[in-house]
Amino acid sequence: MPIISARGLSKTYRVADKQPGLGGTLRHFFARRSRDVQAVSDVNFTIEPGEIVGFLGPNGAGKTTTLKMLTGLIHPSAGEVEVAGCVPFRRQAGFLRQITLVMGQKQQLIWDLPPLDSLRVNAAVYGIDDSEAKRRIDELAGMLDLGEELTRPVRKLSLGQRMKAELLAALLHRPAVLFLDEPTLGLDVNAQARVREFLADYNRRHGATVLLTSHYMADITALCRRVLLIHQGRLFYDGSLDGLTERLAPHREVRFELRDPPPAAAFASYGTFESQDGQQLRLLVPRSELTATVGRLLADFDVLDLEVSDPPIEEIIGRLFRQGAVS
Amino acid sequence: MRGSRRLRFARGWRIARVLLSTQYAYMLEYRAEIALWALSGVLPLIMLGVWSGSEAAGGLGLSPERLSRYFLSAFVVRQFTIVWLVHVFEEDALQGRLSPYLLQPLHPLWRYLASHLSEQATRLPFVVLIMAIFFLFQPAAFWLPSPGGFLLAVVAIHLAFLLRFLFQTVITMLCFWTERAAALERLLLIPYLFLSGLVAPLEAFPEGVRAFALLTPFPAMLSFPAQLLAGEPVDLAGGLITIGVWAALLLPLALWLWQAGLRRYSAMGA
Amino acid sequence: MRNLRLLRRFWATSLAADLEYQVNVLIELLAVGGNLAGSLFVLSLLFGQGGSLGGWSWEEALVVLGLYTLLDGITSTVLQPNLSTIVTHVREGTLDFVLLKPVDSQFWLSARTFSPWGLPGVAAGLALIVVAAAQAGARPDGASVVAALVLLLSSTLILYSLWFVLAATSIWFVKVWNATEVLRAALVAGRYPVSAYPVALRTFFTFVLPVAFLTTVPAEAILGRGSAPWLLASLAVAAFCLLGSRKFWQFALRFYTSASS
Repeated sequence: MPIISARGLSKTYRVADKQPGLGGTLRHFFARRSRDVQAVSDVNFTIEPGEIVGFLGPNGAGKTTTLKMLTGLIHPSAGEVEVAGCVPFRRQAGFLRQITLVMGQKQQLIWDLPPLDSLRVNAAVYGIDDSEAKRRIDELAGMLDLGEELTRPVRKLSLGQRMKAELLAALLHRPAVLFLDEPTLGLDVNAQARVREFLADYNRRHGATVLLTSHYMADITALCRRVLLIHQGRLFYDGSLDGLTERLAPHREVRFELRDPPPAAAFASYGTFESQDGQQLRLLVPRSELTATVGRLLADFDVLDLEVSDPPIEEIIGRLFRQGAVS
Repeated sequence: MRGSRRLRFARGWRIARVLLSTQYAYMLEYRAEIALWALSGVLPLIMLGVWSGSEAAGGLGLSPERLSRYFLSAFVVRQFTIVWLVHVFEEDALQGRLSPYLLQPLHPLWRYLASHLSEQATRLPFVVLIMAIFFLFQPAAFWLPSPGGFLLAVVAIHLAFLLRFLFQTVITMLCFWTERAAALERLLLIPYLFLSGLVAPLEAFPEGVRAFALLTPFPAMLSFPAQLLAGEPVDLAGGLITIGVWAALLLPLALWLWQAGLRRYSAMGA
Repeated sequence: MRNLRLLRRFWATSLAADLEYQVNVLIELLAVGGNLAGSLFVLSLLFGQGGSLGGWSWEEALVVLGLYTLLDGITSTVLQPNLSTIVTHVREGTLDFVLLKPVDSQFWLSARTFSPWGLPGVAAGLALIVVAAAQAGARPDGASVVAALVLLLSSTLILYSLWFVLAATSIWFVKVWNATEVLRAALVAGRYPVSAYPVALRTFFTFVLPVAFLTTVPAEAILGRGSAPWLLASLAVAAFCLLGSRKFWQFALRFYTSASS
């Protein structure tokens, strides 16, 4: 019995159309024009309880819009959606008690007061009595490694600490579904890792369903066994993470620096030439041939520096889009 | 279902307590600003200055003593009936802070009401200070209302505040349709300024204008509680009925606009 | 002059931002009209059956009101939109960017924006002054017109300096950004001739908060009652305030640049 189901989910916005400059301003003042923007088109999926699912896609792909439709903040233009047995945009109390939304770099805690004060308010709002609330706070604080930070004003906490406190506040009422919108945005590498560990731990302990949007591949690889790839408002891929990396990123990016770079054509036999920036060059090399190619590069050229990494997610998805939909 | 009703009441009471205490702690962090806001409410005191010297006051039988009491009371009432809902709400809606509130099982308007009440509690010491300084310069104007009268005045001030809050809630709901709701509120401040008795006591109004003013909710928001505080004879029943009637009109309107506004908010993209 | 060209560019951009909202125009016109109507109403109440307020006739008092409306319009057009940004700059740390620009920082901060919403107030104020002065029997001979303009300029400069100094204190105290609101509230006293107030307030409004120089003194000049001593005093106060604001700003900047990390 799926806990989340979306059928034919779509969202269209109307935006104003204005030309720059003084002339455009005056024209816009007297005669407005607008156009339609398709943010999400015909998205279908179901999610079972306890899954950790990642929404992956570049900026502006429609991930956040989809997420907001699942939480009931945005009313879909077309299609149906059901979460925890309720219709989200009705925002019934029963529905609200079962979900939570955490947005990266957006504050829900009261800025000038310690997190404990915001937690007291949340406990009262969700009807958790004080002793139970204390138990849960202790448990979550232990999992998140938060101690005296809870008694310091939020504005005095670092971004990482703030995010952890936000998570604590969001989970106080033990929701069945967690919606996380770019939760690791702006955090340093250590803080990102801690947040990921916590989410995995929480999912194991309480069996909560987790929906995570991110444009960091690392978030997804660490947590999600299943990913939904969204690009330009459409669902391009719904399946296991391994399948995605296999199918879509069979290449690795080799960045190297040469003392005296020859023209691009010289690299045709090593891999796909991507870009050259002075002495820095980038090549795409198929995974299977990686070791051999790197060896040949080192042997044939005077390489000053070399680095192998995954191509940026935007490129993977961009390439995917150019190749056509993958399902 | 008496048990569940009692439970709901207990829960509501707990939420109110926690919200008020948390908001009070929050407002204390902004003491300095709040002190200045209190100071910027000097208009009735300036008007007192002008009225004291005017020939019209003499003609109407408004002795300097009576004028002092009235305008000082108006000053106090104004301090505790100021509503700034539309400004914070508009800001919250634009910054995306409204969405988290909408996802919690508590009507967001309760939060704003709690912050207003907490702000008033924070403002109180500064208002007392300003009044003390005033009495230092004008000891003749000092008066102490009777305990009964004072209690009545306090109740009236709270009712006036709630009426103003309700009034501004209706305007605030327009935030869902336009970005100029705050400007509209500033516009409505103008009839409030001139018809409520803030800049001139209602007795000074010509008969026709006074009758018109009494048809609006504005005198009930200021003149009514101020006169009670100043110890002037006042139509108690009339004032209370006016407040009641306007509240009965505005409350359902506000709630309906809220539902309609949310539908639009979720259509436009939260 | 380069600054004039800059001014034109500043104001064209902020106009673009403001004219996004058509409803604004209607609201601002209604606000100015409503405020004026209300002020006239209150003034009529103050006059009652009698014919004078602090020794000023109805038409004469209207000149004072007109001057107040004019100055309020100038505040909304230039002072408020610009000087309230100083606090924002300090709070967000963007004051650094202003200081690094090859333009005088006081000029930049004071003239960067231009809000057309204050213009109806300016127009209404001017109209009221002209109409009321004519009705009061003032004759616009060269000397009094010049005196009036000079005094109007000095009023504007005094007002500007008061606003600027208060806004500049936000470099020390970001939390008291709304000090300018207190100023605005206190300046409401300028609606009425200063002789309408009791003696104590009159002295306060002349020597402590120079409200008298803002509206009453220029009004007397317009009505042909201006006297040389007041004219000179007004100019002196204006020059003092303007210089004071500059010195204060330089002092504040020294503090800012040595304190920021």
